[in-house]
Amino acid sequence: MKKKITWLLALSLVLSAALTGCGGGATEPAASDNVPQENATEINEAVEVVADETIANPAKNRDNAADTFVVGMHEAKGEFLSAYNSTTHDGYINKIMYDCLITNNKEGAPVGMLAESFEMSNENRTYTFKLREDVKFWDGTPLTAKDVAFTFTALADPAYDGRYNTSVFEMEGYDAYNTGDADHVSGIEVIDEYTVAITYVTAKADNIWQLEIGIMPEHFYGFEKGGAQKMRDLMNANEYMGSGRYIFERFEPKQFATFTANENWYGGEVKTKNLITKFTTPDTQMQELQAGTIDAQIQVPAKEENGIQLEDMGFINVNPYLANSYGYIGFNLRDERLEDKEVRQALTYGFNRNAFIQIYYNGNAALINTPISKVSWAYTDEVNSYNYDMDKANAMLDEAGWVDTNGDGTRDKNGKELQFVWDTYTDSRYVETMIPMLQADWKKIGVGVEANLMDFNTLVEKVYTEQDFDLYNMAWSLTTDPGSNHSTFHSQFDEPDGNNSVGLRNAKIDDLLERGSIEFDQETRKAIYKEFALAMNEELPYMFLSQGQDWDVVNARVKNFNVSPYENWTWHIEDVEVTN
Amino acid sequence: MSKYILKRLLHMIPVILVISILIFGIIKLAPGSPVGTNLDPRATPEQKQLERTRLGLDEPLYVQYGLWLSRVVQGDLGKSFLYQKPVKDVIGPYLKNTFILNIPVFILAFGISIPVGIHSAVKRYSVFDNFWTVFSLIGISLPSFFFGLLLIYFFAVKIQILPINGMIEAGSNTTGFAYALEVTKHMVLPGLVLTIGSLASYVRYTRNGMLEVIHQDYIRTARAKGLNEKVVVYRHGFRNALLPIVTLLGYSLIFLLSGAVIVETVFNWPGMGRVLLESVTMRDYNLMMAVMMLYAILTLVGNLLADIGYALVDPRVKVD
Repeated sequence: MKKKITWLLALSLVLSAALTGCGGGATEPAASDNVPQENATEINEAVEVVADETIANPAKNRDNAADTFVVGMHEAKGEFLSAYNSTTHDGYINKIMYDCLITNNKEGAPVGMLAESFEMSNENRTYTFKLREDVKFWDGTPLTAKDVAFTFTALADPAYDGRYNTSVFEMEGYDAYNTGDADHVSGIEVIDEYTVAITYVTAKADNIWQLEIGIMPEHFYGFEKGGAQKMRDLMNANEYMGSGRYIFERFEPKQFATFTANENWYGGEVKTKNLITKFTTPDTQMQELQAGTIDAQIQVPAKEENGIQLEDMGFINVNPYLANSYGYIGFNLRDERLEDKEVRQALTYGFNRNAFIQIYYNGNAALINTPISKVSWAYTDEVNSYNYDMDKANAMLDEAGWVDTNGDGTRDKNGKELQFVWDTYTDSRYVETMIPMLQADWKKIGVGVEANLMDFNTLVEKVYTEQDFDLYNMAWSLTTDPGSNHSTFHSQFDEPDGNNSVGLRNAKIDDLLERGSIEFDQETRKAIYKEFALAMNEELPYMFLSQGQDWDVVNARVKNFNVSPYENWTWHIEDVEVTN
Repeated sequence: MSKYILKRLLHMIPVILVISILIFGIIKLAPGSPVGTNLDPRATPEQKQLERTRLGLDEPLYVQYGLWLSRVVQGDLGKSFLYQKPVKDVIGPYLKNTFILNIPVFILAFGISIPVGIHSAVKRYSVFDNFWTVFSLIGISLPSFFFGLLLIYFFAVKIQILPINGMIEAGSNTTGFAYALEVTKHMVLPGLVLTIGSLASYVRYTRNGMLEVIHQDYIRTARAKGLNEKVVVYRHGFRNALLPIVTLLGYSLIFLLSGAVIVETVFNWPGMGRVLLESVTMRDYNLMMAVMMLYAILTLVGNLLADIGYALVDPRVKVD
């Protein structure tokens, strides 16, 4: 008897010990930069978390609390120079250190930043910028047209190995400079000390956004043609010179970076004297907020358990806004089972996407049905919402000729079964939650699906380089202009390593994308993209899933922390104040 | 003895070569490449191809290996694709940080486990022994990240006497002694997690090694001869129990470096483990090869040290 009890006890101890570690990493779907933004639907108001100003706030007791704003963010690699920042996070830091010719306002329209004004000419191929005359770099040197010319010429340098050559390779004279003997890029012209003109070979409505690059000073980074490595050497030595709101002080790899306010910033006063970007990990973000070691954390996953913890802290404000990204499942249109759009629509009707959003995001995400953002000027709400309808899905598949002739539970036609392999990535609660739901829903309409998990890098190669898949899921992040849909959905990009991995070759959509990118009249453009939105909603090369929320979470002692879908925390950092 | 060491060192060279071929083959054969995930999504397929050629990814495997080998013997570990810096410059500071964390852990773990293990063996089934048995079981079963998060919650959030993570306070400018103090303070929690994790298994190991020795005939003889119990245990017994401990010491050299990945991630400690993990996920081949070869060499050196230690400690072992 005694032996039996001890045996049972031992077994239960072992089992409970084994379970303590479960429930591992949860990462969100990886998003790549680029992608046009389609807006998400309304924010779930249930997530309002407002701080109680009266309760004890540990952040106020920090040593440096009086004049320092500590922002928690994902680790940045330390590539803060405009020419080289390759991650979103380094991009944030680049934004606070450097100024660009233009930026966007709350609605996503371009407005001048360093440029007082700009004009288009030459059939909209040329942009002439009139610069402000009161901008100085941190060392007091004035910022003039030659610095603008230098910045873009540097990106065209034959020895430049960063990723922003995409901003300049469609400029006039690029090839002659990059691979030929030209001593300057003919499309970049300094007209006078404060005027510079940039000319593209083809007029495109989103060319203006290619010029949103932080201006680098020639007197600090300048080099002879072929010497682009100098910029990288200076960056690796952590030597920076910019004109932006915060002056670089120090970078501690994987730990933090520190900045001090630029008192001579042309745009006005930078309210908080010191800024520290602390690199946090999802594991300990909440603890840091709780202990007050950080004053804000950007992009907290919009999950229920986070919401509860934040609410319990009491001294935290949550600023939710629609994330500039959407998740999707890609159908391989080259597969004869998926080439019929009726089938794709049926598969979409047959999956309860709303239920998934409720379960995974607790409602804090929006259903999307087309790759255009809800807050974008290009949006139309005439799109079909493909609400879950099992009967309709069944009927559509029957009509398309897919019936279960051999009684194995899945529909078939001409010897092909509707049994798919869904390639996806490991280590993601998002995926793990979706797999059983999709399998169950599709089983009810006679479609089978097996999940095939692999590491993300491998998945990218399989999908984009080899184009060998039935279904896969990923996410795109969006920009302010719907023109970037071009490289994702135009048939020209259906090639190995192209972004059109699903193989969409639709003449009507191609035509809309081409017209949309060269159209400059806003009303006409709006109409074109509305048609595009409806066409995509009809064709359904993807099963569009959801657009999530981002939460920027701020301690109650922080004032004027304003974010919106097109303006992240760096847009108005100069207004942020900390109280003590 | 020195002839033996020399011979062993010479033997290491072909072993390292074979290991490098194996590692190189495995990581290159795995699907995925740095080009897909590391370039701007706006890049055209031509540009991606250009990048692939520039990195030499299209050459046949043996050519790529040959190029890598010829660079390495000249002391050039190559450029890290992720960091766009020479691999040496990337590894240096992180290696230092890992050593700073792991050497005290190493010393503590062995310093505690050896006397505890011996005492447990000598006083088998005593309260002391039972306590450490339970401790070991818990320590081995408890996952390190869970334990780490628990400690953070208790010591850094609830009672706030230790920092949450990192190596120094965000924005700290301390130097000299104040800096050393700050780092030490930040080392306490991750060090605790690592030490307890290692302690748990080391204590069992030494205890078992000692137990085996204690029941040997020569121990009984020594007791029968009337020797002082302390002398019997510590002079006659322990010296022989040292053998498995020396083996353990040699092998542990590498486990401390690699096993710290999880702890480094939880505590945001800027060490080697995370760098290696990142290089694997992002397919930074040069960095991966350099770090893995470093681990391989360390393992071999650890083995060699263990063997030499054996020879020194055990008079029965003769080297020639």
